[in-house]
Amino acid sequence: MRQEIEKTETSQSNGDGVIILRKIIKKFGGKVVLDHVSLAVEKGKTTVIIGPSGCGKTVLLKHLILLLRPTSGEVYFKGSRIDNLRERRLNKVRTHYGFLFQGGALFDSLSVFENIIFPLRQHHRITDFKQVEELVKSKLAMVGLDGYQNYYPANLSGGQRKRVALARAIALNPEVILYDEPTTGLDPIRSDIINELILKLQRELKVTAVVVTHDMTSAYKVADRIIMLHNGKIIADGDADYIRNHPHPTVQHFIKGQVDDDDLAVLRMSGTMSQAQFLPRDFEQ
Amino acid sequence: MIIGTVGVKTVTGVNNMGRFARFSWQSMIASLRSCLSPSTYPLIWTQMNIIGVKSVPVVMITGAFVGMTLAVQAYDQLAGMGLEEHLGVLINISVVKELGPVLAAVMLAGRIGGALTAELGTMNVTEQIDAIRSMGTDPIRYLAAPRVLACLLLTPFLIIYADLMGILGGYFVSVIQLGINSRAYWNFSASGVELWDVSIGVVKGLFFGVAIAVISCYKGFTCKEGAHGVGQACTEAFVASFISILALDFALAVIFKSIYNTFWPLKSLV
Repeated sequence: MRQEIEKTETSQSNGDGVIILRKIIKKFGGKVVLDHVSLAVEKGKTTVIIGPSGCGKTVLLKHLILLLRPTSGEVYFKGSRIDNLRERRLNKVRTHYGFLFQGGALFDSLSVFENIIFPLRQHHRITDFKQVEELVKSKLAMVGLDGYQNYYPANLSGGQRKRVALARAIALNPEVILYDEPTTGLDPIRSDIINELILKLQRELKVTAVVVTHDMTSAYKVADRIIMLHNGKIIADGDADYIRNHPHPTVQHFIKGQVDDDDLAVLRMSGTMSQAQFLPRDFEQ
Repeated sequence: MIIGTVGVKTVTGVNNMGRFARFSWQSMIASLRSCLSPSTYPLIWTQMNIIGVKSVPVVMITGAFVGMTLAVQAYDQLAGMGLEEHLGVLINISVVKELGPVLAAVMLAGRIGGALTAELGTMNVTEQIDAIRSMGTDPIRYLAAPRVLACLLLTPFLIIYADLMGILGGYFVSVIQLGINSRAYWNFSASGVELWDVSIGVVKGLFFGVAIAVISCYKGFTCKEGAHGVGQACTEAFVASFISILALDFALAVIFKSIYNTFWPLKSLV
């Protein structure tokens, strides 16, 4: 069983992906979070990374744009190695990416309009303000929020914040969009709106997308390819049907949302609820 | 066991010092670049308003109380020797050289340092700093440099306000409350306080301003997650800024004294 879990799948890791990770190891202190992960993200496709909480999905996603640097291993973007670049040169590479953070990460001191023009202001000299207004309008229309330009993040709901963050992520017309748990914390309807947006962007802008999620409904809906991460290793890699029929028990437990036998045994052995309750009389003495 | 713990703490301390030195260096470079880039001036202007303009009242109140307290405390000793008319020299030299700059800087460390750390720490915890990096922008240049420049440029001016109010506060208590002759008070003050004394107080402000801004920004950038992390970063920022102000004050006092002893006598030759 253990050997099965540790067996990794590294298919397509040496292909001609737009982003390639080679033998990435990431340690925080002594803890190994990513363990020899190799992966090639295919151009124009949506790759979904699934896995239980704390398995290293977000850490892996941040390595694709080098918000985190690997302890060892190599990262390539469009054939060029980027993990050894200095921050200044890396900043130029990052303009090819859009990143949707889990909480949106909108700047709360700036309005929706100012949030969306932020990347434009940083990389272009804005001379025609009318044109910028049109651009912001079109980006917000894409996510269904035209008219919200003067709102502040504090006045938006969780779903609206994610949609504004998505509009900001596509402001520079990126080739790659990275989504960190885009549907977490949203109700099923709003989750589906985000899923539809991911599909719409892929269809209309032909972008390469990498989505980190543990929402299987979302994963099946948007994925061309699903990768499962467990204990810092890739244990399954294929399309939705392949994952649905994957023989690995950990994969099956995860996609069906079932706790595995080992975890269940720990729960059963760890005492009963009545033992864990404190009664007022325990303190009276 | 003890050796191991001491070893780990030493290595962690050296690592943190190295990270802080690197951050300071990057902040200095980013600040220099910002000076040469007009597109960043609006960011600096905004921070100057938040850091400088809004700190004026609190710094002025601090200065006034320093001057008044010095007058009350020193009067009895000088009056006992019949030297009460020299009170102006004592108050004004203390205010412009030491107490004005140091206490104004401490007030700024509390008012601005805490706010900077809390703001940047919250941005760090909510991934806004990562968002800036993901959009190809250097967060040190966008966030730290305008704050460092605003503190560098405005702390000396705030110290001038503190000095002014300290002098007026001292005058008010000495002349109006304690009845010292106004003309004598100012004459002795003018003969005892030199341009050099005022200048070194203001120059100290440049160093204090940079120290407050760099320490506060560093603590914000390296803040740990959660409300506890932000609170802890704010406390650490204030304590570190306060100690740095006192340490810098001592170091600058030694340096300026050497410079004074070497060059100021030559003034008469010029």
